Amino acid sequence: MKKSSLLVLLLTFVLVASGCSVKTKTDVADKTNEPAPTETVTDQSPVDIELLGMSASESDLNIIRDQLTKNGFNVKLNIQPDYGSFKAQEDAGNFDIAHSGWTTVTGNPDYAVRSLFKTGGDYSILADSEIDNLIDQAATESPEKYTETYKQLEQRLVFDKAYIAPLYISLKSQAVNKDILNVDSVRLSKSRALAWEDIDFNDTSKRNTDPLILTQAASVLTSLDPIKGNDGSINQLNTNMYVRLINLTDDDKITSDGSLSYNHTIAEGNSEYYFILRDDINFAKIDNKKAVDTGERVGADDVIFSLDRAKDKNSVPDHRTYSLHEHIKTVELVTDIASLDGIKQSSGSGTIKEALEAGLDTKINELVTDKTQADNKAGKYQVVKLTTTEPFPQVLNYLAHQSAGIVSKKQVESINTYDVATFDVNKDIPYGDQNTITEGKQYNNTLYASGPYILSSKNDYEGIFLKNPGYRKGTSDEANISTVKVRFIADADSALSALRSSEIHLYYGVPETKYETIQSDSKLKLQSIESNAVSYLLFNTSNRDVAKSEDLRKAVLYSINQDEILQFYNNNKIKAVSTVSPLVKTGNEVVADPAKVKEFLDKYKASK
Amino acid sequence: MIKTNLKTSQEYSKAFFAWVVSLALSVILLLSSYDFSANAVKPYVFLAFSAYALFTITQFFLTLKIRRDILRHGDIARSTRSLGYVQLLSILTGNLFIVTSAFHLVKRQKNPEYTLAVYTLLTGIFVIAVSALNLFKPYVSDTFLPSMFSLVIITIFHFIALLLVAKYVQGNKVAPFMIWIACLLILTSITGNIFALLLGLNLLFKIRNNGNPATAKWESIWEKLTQNTTAMIGLFFIIFLFSISVCSLLTFDYAMATENNYGAILLHPSLAYPLGTDNFGRCLFSRIVFGARTSLIVGIVSTAIPVVIGGILGAVSGYYGRHTDNIIMRFLDILYAVPGILLAIAIIAAFGANTVNLIVALSVGAIPTYARTMRANVLLVSTFEYVDAARAFGSRDSAIIFKHIVPNSLAPMIVKSTLTIGAAVISTSSLSFLGLGVEPHIPEWGNILKLGSTYLETHSYMAIYPGLAIIALVLSFNFLGDGLRDALDPKLG
Repeated sequence: MKKSSLLVLLLTFVLVASGCSVKTKTDVADKTNEPAPTETVTDQSPVDIELLGMSASESDLNIIRDQLTKNGFNVKLNIQPDYGSFKAQEDAGNFDIAHSGWTTVTGNPDYAVRSLFKTGGDYSILADSEIDNLIDQAATESPEKYTETYKQLEQRLVFDKAYIAPLYISLKSQAVNKDILNVDSVRLSKSRALAWEDIDFNDTSKRNTDPLILTQAASVLTSLDPIKGNDGSINQLNTNMYVRLINLTDDDKITSDGSLSYNHTIAEGNSEYYFILRDDINFAKIDNKKAVDTGERVGADDVIFSLDRAKDKNSVPDHRTYSLHEHIKTVELVTDIASLDGIKQSSGSGTIKEALEAGLDTKINELVTDKTQADNKAGKYQVVKLTTTEPFPQVLNYLAHQSAGIVSKKQVESINTYDVATFDVNKDIPYGDQNTITEGKQYNNTLYASGPYILSSKNDYEGIFLKNPGYRKGTSDEANISTVKVRFIADADSALSALRSSEIHLYYGVPETKYETIQSDSKLKLQSIESNAVSYLLFNTSNRDVAKSEDLRKAVLYSINQDEILQFYNNNKIKAVSTVSPLVKTGNEVVADPAKVKEFLDKYKASK
Repeated sequence: MIKTNLKTSQEYSKAFFAWVVSLALSVILLLSSYDFSANAVKPYVFLAFSAYALFTITQFFLTLKIRRDILRHGDIARSTRSLGYVQLLSILTGNLFIVTSAFHLVKRQKNPEYTLAVYTLLTGIFVIAVSALNLFKPYVSDTFLPSMFSLVIITIFHFIALLLVAKYVQGNKVAPFMIWIACLLILTSITGNIFALLLGLNLLFKIRNNGNPATAKWESIWEKLTQNTTAMIGLFFIIFLFSISVCSLLTFDYAMATENNYGAILLHPSLAYPLGTDNFGRCLFSRIVFGARTSLIVGIVSTAIPVVIGGILGAVSGYYGRHTDNIIMRFLDILYAVPGILLAIAIIAAFGANTVNLIVALSVGAIPTYARTMRANVLLVSTFEYVDAARAFGSRDSAIIFKHIVPNSLAPMIVKSTLTIGAAVISTSSLSFLGLGVEPHIPEWGNILKLGSTYLETHSYMAIYPGLAIIALVLSFNFLGDGLRDALDPKLG
């Protein structure tokens, strides 16, 4: 027992000895803090604030909670399991700040602000006339000029009024199984959705025997009518099912490659846009679970029909994308060749006709009205002219968006026979309804696809897409792989496991925390690029204190330390100021400042 | 005669158990001391392995010696017992198994008080040792030093108490002055050291009934329980966790466990962060220590509530029978038909995720099983003569139920509840793991495990340590429940 007592003595000694050099919390705190100046005593009690978010962004919420708590807030977390419940809480106004995200899929700055912050916008809860004016002004300006306007907009939106508190810009990443897929054939684009037609196997003999297996989280598809949805569940699918007048390159430049047009050009004045159409794309349909060529060409009448319904709010019930196309005034067929010769391009050099003919084997001999008469080899073309309500060059970006996908006039009109005003969701079946392509009793696939693939059927587990046999047959743009399966895997970890076990071939949108795992797996290749996705905190603008007090909002704004967020994500995020940050480098930066937070909080408390 | 001696020798079985477990621990340490990816030996882990191996070898020969002594002389030689003092040194390595075996060996005449005193001391030392790890942190909480000094003083007192108990408690006889020691021991149990409380109560009990044979039952329960090594080690771990949860209020800094530290993200275990840091730079060690509090509170309270409610309902329906029984039990059958975890998820989904709702959710589903257990016991006990006697004397029903029937029906309830605390701890962790438990930043073992599970491949320690903690706690409750069942069963031993 003596040894035991020695032991206790030893422990005591250790404690006493170490006690002399141990720093306590107040020791450390006193050193870092300057002696508190004797000012008028303000209320030191923490300010209550309710933070709403989804469990998918739990890490962000924790960082925000931590930063706000350290700056004198008492954060109440409201974490919802999925987007539906989150949106319900948001719509009910049960939040002070909501963790929000925005991805500018069109790659132009106007889209990054218009529907979010303009009074009455699709997703807007703001009403600030100065912001409205700045958004409208920037829309008409060229890139050199709009940088300054967007800078002013950020000044007003973030620094002066603190309607949002920015968090970060995300990277867009995908992991490819390089043992199976030819990595060079898999594109990674900043804005546009993944193009399936280019993807190829290492072993090209498997093109017709093996399916390409992709994945996405959402298994409930909003709608396969391109204008009726604009979300993660259908963006990639509709992009590959419907061809558009133009496309975006991987770095967000406008191009005619892989689109319905050979060329496009802007006329003097920036209000008229011309497109010369191809004659080698036919609509596909599903017959007996096989994709067949309908023999019906994708032509000017379909383009005009599609864009007219895209801009018309009342063309379908639940129109989700009309505000993207509100600048389209008219879309019409050009029949007079002479008119093309008479107009100059906006760049000032050359006529419209020259621009449209550039690189064509056969020059334009004749413009035809009937799409079946078009024969490009013989010089018979169709040209479409689009006029905007005001000079608005960014309209081209919207035309590259999936919602501007070309649908068949004949087919859509034959399906959508209901009256929009009296649409009955229980009785009427609109074109693109996901129930019509879901396996089961209601299955009745009426899709007409103008793109490289067509959706054959889906269930809760996967969607099966087949190659459109009438899509640019014999050209390099023809789809390589004949079957594409999209597995619906909601959980990121499960999707990654599926990729690593070669159950899927490509995983789009890899979370930052998984980079290390992917890099350590020899059969996987990680590709990443800066994306247009911005995360930010949105303040409640209706019935809470944050709606009334600018000071309180600013206190939150300056509490957010983006450096720490970047550290957490191992620098796989980029600093942001607003949703236009990925598109326009305005030079603004939000710097966290605890002193400012204290000042604004004191002002807020004093005003109460 | 000699053969039975070997089998019944507590010293031999404990020594044997100690060397086997400590061999296993040594092997685990040996394996983890070698870094297979870098082909290098980790010096500190290897040092720990050497220490463990040394004591294991000594323990092995000691066990052989005990065996020889018993086989040859039918008793353990004095020299062998004194070797136990050497093995006491293994407390420096934290090897609980060898220490308890050594404490057992050095004293010839043992009683429950001696064992409790040993565990009281051990708990104190372990709490101090674990809390002392905070010294390596950049800073400690303001109350750290004073509370550590008080803990050391209390532990010294516990050591003195151990010596006094060894000397002045013989069989049923306790020296009368020990009443002061007993009271002091009860006072020191504010550190959460329940062993001190049990020891104090036991001493008081014995002093009051000095030599009275009527108390044999209580005495024999403790005797049986303290002789059961696994049960005592389970109880030790539970009480150690409880004590460190109480002491962590003063000796640990809560901010270390909840505030993000972006400069220390995903660090591997080191002296400053004994179990590493998580992806927010929070100290995993502090989080697990604070998590013990939530897990224990939820586990114990969510078991206590159904024990009380189910116990009362079961007692009433068992005693009155007929319609009362039918109404109560059929109602509980309905509740019983709803899967417990589903009910818990529904309750949390409806009322929101926080600790109180979690406790309610876990409690409600467990009521019917306790009611059934209690009812069965009451049905049995109420047929006994002493109940008839009480009734003949004209006692009120409530007096009969709560004075005569319930106390005699409690044993199975106690055993059942210790077993279900473990299940409650797991349920808490599962619900937190599903994101339905407490808020994500609050340290709770399920929460910690959930965060760690996403890093299983790259930073596996983040999932292994909370997982081990959950396993150890649940196992401890199961061992204790097992031991209690044996101790409370009059048919055994």
